[in-house]
Amino acid sequence: MSTTTNAPGRPKGLVRRSFLTDLIDNEKSLGYLLVAPVVILLLALVAYPFAVAIGYALSDRTLADPGVFVGLENFELLWENQIYRQTLRNTFVFTVGSVIIRLVLGVGLALLLNESFRFRRAVRAAILLPWIVPTVLGTMAWLWMFNPNFSVLNYILVQSGLMKTGFEWLTDPDLALFSVLLVNAWRGVPFMAITVLAGLQAIPQDLYDASSIDGAGKLQRFRYVTLPLVMPVLLTALVLSIIWTFSDFGIVYGLTKGGPMNATHVLATLSYQTGLASGNIGEGAAISLTMLPVLLVLIIWQLRRIRRSTVV
Amino acid sequence: MTQDHAQPRLTRRKILAAAATTPALATPAIAQGVLKGTKLTVLAGQWYVPQTNTMLDELAAELGRDTGMEIKIERFAGDELMTKTAATIGTGRGADLAVGVEFDTYVYAAKLNDVTDLADDIGRTYGGWLDSARATSMINGRWKSLPIGQAPAAWNWRTDMFAAVGLTKFPDTFADLLAAAKLLHAKGTPIGMTLGHASGDGRSTNYPVLWAFGGKEFEADGKTVAINSPGTLAAVEWYKEIYQHFIPGTTAWLDPDNNQAFLASKVSATVNVNTIYLASRAAAATDPARKLIVDNMDHGQWPSGPAGRFACYNVNVWLPFASSPNKAGQREFLKAWYSRGFLPKWTKTGQSYFIPQLAGFDAEDVWPADPKLKIFRELNKLNRLPGYAGPPSPAAAEAVNKYILVDMFAKACTGQLTPRAAVDWAEKEYQQIARRRTRT
Repeated sequence: MSTTTNAPGRPKGLVRRSFLTDLIDNEKSLGYLLVAPVVILLLALVAYPFAVAIGYALSDRTLADPGVFVGLENFELLWENQIYRQTLRNTFVFTVGSVIIRLVLGVGLALLLNESFRFRRAVRAAILLPWIVPTVLGTMAWLWMFNPNFSVLNYILVQSGLMKTGFEWLTDPDLALFSVLLVNAWRGVPFMAITVLAGLQAIPQDLYDASSIDGAGKLQRFRYVTLPLVMPVLLTALVLSIIWTFSDFGIVYGLTKGGPMNATHVLATLSYQTGLASGNIGEGAAISLTMLPVLLVLIIWQLRRIRRSTVV
Repeated sequence: MTQDHAQPRLTRRKILAAAATTPALATPAIAQGVLKGTKLTVLAGQWYVPQTNTMLDELAAELGRDTGMEIKIERFAGDELMTKTAATIGTGRGADLAVGVEFDTYVYAAKLNDVTDLADDIGRTYGGWLDSARATSMINGRWKSLPIGQAPAAWNWRTDMFAAVGLTKFPDTFADLLAAAKLLHAKGTPIGMTLGHASGDGRSTNYPVLWAFGGKEFEADGKTVAINSPGTLAAVEWYKEIYQHFIPGTTAWLDPDNNQAFLASKVSATVNVNTIYLASRAAAATDPARKLIVDNMDHGQWPSGPAGRFACYNVNVWLPFASSPNKAGQREFLKAWYSRGFLPKWTKTGQSYFIPQLAGFDAEDVWPADPKLKIFRELNKLNRLPGYAGPPSPAAAEAVNKYILVDMFAKACTGQLTPRAAVDWAEKEYQQIARRRTRT
């Protein structure tokens, strides 16, 4: 494609323009061009696998057989299943429990780390360790601490005379669920702490000075200055924590494989056990997709919040 | 004792010579050079006897040199192998052969090559396949995988601890085992049976109890659920009683936990393959604690119940992927594996860890000389597979992978459910699995 133009600094006459030049010169088409790589990536890496997963969930596909369309039958069968219902309940307890611990300890740690004290930098770096250590390594260490017969925690409790026999960390069904969510929280607290700390450090000192002059005490400064200003960062960290905890696999699988008696099964481990270990891909995908409504609501809420704050 | 480890090194010449004297496993493809430049990827796990892994590597290297085929052994730990195999089946890419387990042939049947001719040749060479081999690998009269072997799980028991309560032999009936457990518990040396989500030990420990009391999961058609029976209820009630005399914590035991408890002398008996003993024996020269174990342990067979004596062993098979572009290479590898020059030596090296389910092996020079391992020759004849009285079908596999039977026992033992309610719970789970697996 060519056109006639008088290009500045060039001899007058016909100048050949390429398709690409036209594309770049046009603001609208340039916009599409710049967005295209991201769209292609999202389609290939997110939309396509997602569509495939939905297709699987609506079929009776196995690893060796493409199966046929069965509509919502997988979901109906799941709802009738006691292990699935127990897993669903476990997943919510696991997520809510872990996120509450992350939130309380994370914010508390961030407030402490925001103060001035000796070796502050070293402590800040050390706090990140649980987040940095590979999940498998961290889980193995906790497995030894919770071991049914060799628990080092129980050894300390018994030797110090605090208990007679120690806790049944992974044996008692209720305590086992608490143990796995505790390990999940242990891994997640550093992320929450460091993210909130970043938010705290962005708050101008002037605001604290002004509120002090107005007679605000420590609690009031936290309530009326710190909390509102750190809230956007806190909410982002919270949403990400919920999403990651809700879909966690490694910690539960490494510690209990969903036992004892399915007391610690979460949707991700049950989905693995059904879809991959048993080859029942359709039902495995349906279990995974159970997470979708919760995660979707969170993601939409988070995106709308980000857009609102950007517009403001 | 160490002579059991010493195996003559495999050489190309030996493998070829052995193949030449075994017409059924002759290797014309080598002579024709058709494999030169081809590639073969084999997925394998980590067998617990390290030398058996080394021998697989050596076999691949030798075969590669003979044929010009590039053979790569990819190893994955634990459940990762299963995941990789599933991914290969799903995508049709990534490997040509894999080590699978007892259910895989049924689960992946449509995606596996027919190797009936090879299986027939191997059977003829080694005196015929045992029933457990046909049960794992033959579907509708065709062999869709080749059995590698079964790993007999025995009762590992401490002779000194049993002697301390007046017992010189391992109990021969379930009633005797219960009585022994009470005595040992009272003495502070309890026994322990895995009731947690342990993929290997959970199965080998709990299925024999069900069968010994006359319980079964399915009828012979593999579809009709048969778990709710007086036999199953009797098994659950026996378990509930003996559980009161276990070491605490067995409902959380994963696969390594019973080994660790036994090695630490915390339990006087548990169900395991021969690896507790082999590992202890290897370390006994330098570790007095391990020497104590070796000197004071032995292996016993499962007690007999009202319905008989049964055992449930993990089985490994070769899965020949139908998606493989190198079918000739696949077959050549399998021929080399089952050659007289390799398989008996590999079996002897494992010292009854994995034993090929071939009738002729009973008379082969593959059995360890160590008297504490002699029992495995007899144990090898006992194996029954999950899914009984049906085949090790996808439904049986799903029940195993979801630990339905293990949890049925655990729920009753811990008092979460009554024995009756635990059996009813299990029946419902089995019925749902069967319904899903047979809806098409």
